[in-house]
Amino acid sequence: MSAAETDAADTPAPTRAWYLRLMRDPSALVAALFLLAVCVVAVAAPVLSPHDPFASSRSVMVPPVWAETGSWTHPLGTDGQGRDILSRIFWGTRLTLVIGLVSVGIGGFLGSLLGLLAAFRPGLDPWVMRLVDVMLSFPAILLGLALVAVLGPGAGPVIVALAIATVPDCARIARSIAVSVMNQEYIEAGRALGLPARQLFLRYLLRNCVSSIMIFISLRFGQVILIGAALSFLGLGARPPTAELGMMAAQGRDFLLFAPHIAVIPSVMIFLIVLTANVLGDALRDVLDPRLRS
Amino acid sequence: MSALLEVRNLTKHFPVRRGVLRRTVGHVQAVTDVSFDVHAGETLAVVGESGCGKSTIGRALLRLIAPTAGTVTLDGTEVTALPDPALREMRRHMQIIFQDPFGSLNPRMSVAETLAEPLLLHGLATSANVRQKVAELLETCGLQPWHAARFPHEFSGGQRQRVGVARALATRPRLIVCDEPVSALDVSVQAQIVNLLQDLQASFGIAYVFISHDLAVVRHMADRVAVVYLGRVVEEAPTATLFATPRHPYTRSLIAAAPRPDPGLRSDRQPVRGDLPSALAPPPGCAFHPRCPMAEARCRTERPALRAVGGTSVACHFAEAVAESTTPAERPPSDRLRRRLDILQAARESREDPHA
Repeated sequence: MSAAETDAADTPAPTRAWYLRLMRDPSALVAALFLLAVCVVAVAAPVLSPHDPFASSRSVMVPPVWAETGSWTHPLGTDGQGRDILSRIFWGTRLTLVIGLVSVGIGGFLGSLLGLLAAFRPGLDPWVMRLVDVMLSFPAILLGLALVAVLGPGAGPVIVALAIATVPDCARIARSIAVSVMNQEYIEAGRALGLPARQLFLRYLLRNCVSSIMIFISLRFGQVILIGAALSFLGLGARPPTAELGMMAAQGRDFLLFAPHIAVIPSVMIFLIVLTANVLGDALRDVLDPRLRS
Repeated sequence: MSALLEVRNLTKHFPVRRGVLRRTVGHVQAVTDVSFDVHAGETLAVVGESGCGKSTIGRALLRLIAPTAGTVTLDGTEVTALPDPALREMRRHMQIIFQDPFGSLNPRMSVAETLAEPLLLHGLATSANVRQKVAELLETCGLQPWHAARFPHEFSGGQRQRVGVARALATRPRLIVCDEPVSALDVSVQAQIVNLLQDLQASFGIAYVFISHDLAVVRHMADRVAVVYLGRVVEEAPTATLFATPRHPYTRSLIAAAPRPDPGLRSDRQPVRGDLPSALAPPPGCAFHPRCPMAEARCRTERPALRAVGGTSVACHFAEAVAESTTPAERPPSDRLRRRLDILQAARESREDPHA
C-alpha cells in the first residue's frame, strides 16, 4: 500500500471508552445509578440509619409513611418487633451485597481459573470437567443446608455455599470461551514467537476471555443474591437479629395479611437489585462483547 | 555448502481415537517421509490440493506440532531434538506468516504491543528503544508510524497481513514459513504482499518455505517447487523446469487445472478425476494411482521412490514417459477464436480510422 493510499480516510479514529458507550444506553444508565445508590447505602448504612436496626420497641407494625396512619418517625414503618424497617433495609442491603459480592468473587475467580486451565492444558480438561460435573449435581440450596448443618447458621456458610455453587457454572462458561480462543490462529502465532506459557496464558488467552467471563459473572451476581436471599428465607443465613433482606421477607411472612409492608418492602428491594444487576450485565455484554461490536 | 534448512524423513501421523476408552483406531497419515533442503535466501514452494498435508509440513518444520519422526535442522541446529527452553530461543530464527490475517493477530493487543512482544522477548530491543524499533519495522513493511496505536480490527485485510509480516520479521529470522499468506486476500492486495515478501527477501536474505495452492503466485515467487500429494513429495524441481516439463502425472494435472487467461486453451483442460483419497487409509502402491490416467498394474502394488530424472526428483514409475507426452503449452488458436479475433481487429481498425 502506498503512502497516498493511507492518508486522509485512514487517519486514526479514536474509539470511545467502554464505560462511555455503556452510559449511552438509558436503561443501563438508570440501572448503574440505582446500583451505585444501593452501594452507597450499603457502605454508609451506620451513618444513614435513622434508628438502631436491632432495637425493638413497643410501636410494632407501624405502617409506612404513605399509609393513613404512617408517620415520618419510621418512613417505612416498623416490623413485628417494632424495629425500624428503613434502618433494617440499609443494614440488610449491606449484608446481602457482601454475601453476593464475596461469593461471586471467590466462586467466579476459582471457576474461571479452572475453566481457563482446562482449555489451556488439554491434559487437565477431562479431570476438571468431571469435577465440575460432580459439583453441578448439587443444588445450591441443598449444599447450603448441608453446610449450615456442619458449620452452623450464619453469613459465612452461606457465602461458602454460594461460592461453591458459582464455581461449576463459571468453569463451564470460561472453558467454552477459552476453547474457542485457543483454536484461534493468534495462539499459534504466540507460540511460534517462543512465548513462555505464562505470557501466552495471560496476554493471549486471559485477555481475550476476560470480558466475556466478566459479563457472565455480572449476570450471575443477580442469581446469587436471589439464592442467598432464598437461603436466608429458609432460615439458613444470617442469625437474628442481624438484618438480611431475605430473612426480613421471611419474618414479614407471619404478618402478611395485616401488615404486608414488612414482607413486601425487602422483597421489592431484592427484586430491584437483581433486576438492575441483570440489566447492567446485559448492557455490559452489548458494549464489551467483541462479537456484538461491529 | 550445506543448506540452511535440512528436512529429513519428516513424518506426522495423527492418531484417531474413538469410543469411551479413547482407543487408537487408526492414524491420519498427514505427512510421510518428506525430505528437502532450503538454502539461505531461497524460496521453496510447497504446493498441493487442500488436505494434502502442506500446512502440517509447515507447522511440523517449526515444531508447532511435534513430528512423529524425522529431523529438521536449521543452520546446523537440530530443531526436532531441542529441549523446550532452547526451542523457544530458536524460534527467533524461524517464523511463520499465517493465511488468515483476521485470526492470526491477537485482537486485544495493539500493533505496537504485537510488534514489541517478539523484540522484547528475544532481547532485540530494550524498553527505551522499542518504540523506535517498532516504527522502523512498520516502515519496512509499508505501514505508517501512527498505525502502532491501532488494534487489528481497525485495519483492512492487506494491512493486517502487513502487520503479520512485520511480526514475523521482527526477530530477523533466517527462515519464514509462509502458510498461504496471500490466499485470503484479493488479487491486487496479493500482489502487494508478494512484492513485499520478495523485497524483504532481497534485503535480509530470508529463506521462505512458501505453502500455496496458487500456481500463478508460486511461479512468480519460488526458486524451487515441491509438489505434495497425500502427505508425500511426489516431485521436486526448479520452478522453470517444473512448469516446462512436469514429470509426475499429478503435477501435470495441477498445472493443467490452473486457470490461464488464454481462451485457446479452454478445451484443453484435463482436471484430476475423483477426490483426494483418505489419509486414514492411503491407497497401496503409488498413492495417486486411483486418479492417474497412466496407472498400470505396477502402480497398484509398488510405491515409486523419489528418483532423479533430468534435474527433477520425481516419484513415478513412468516419469520419462510423462515428460514426453506433455502437451505443448501453446497451440494455434481454433478457427472460431481466429474469426472472433479478426472481427475485433477489424473493429479496432475502423475506430482508429477517423483519426488516421
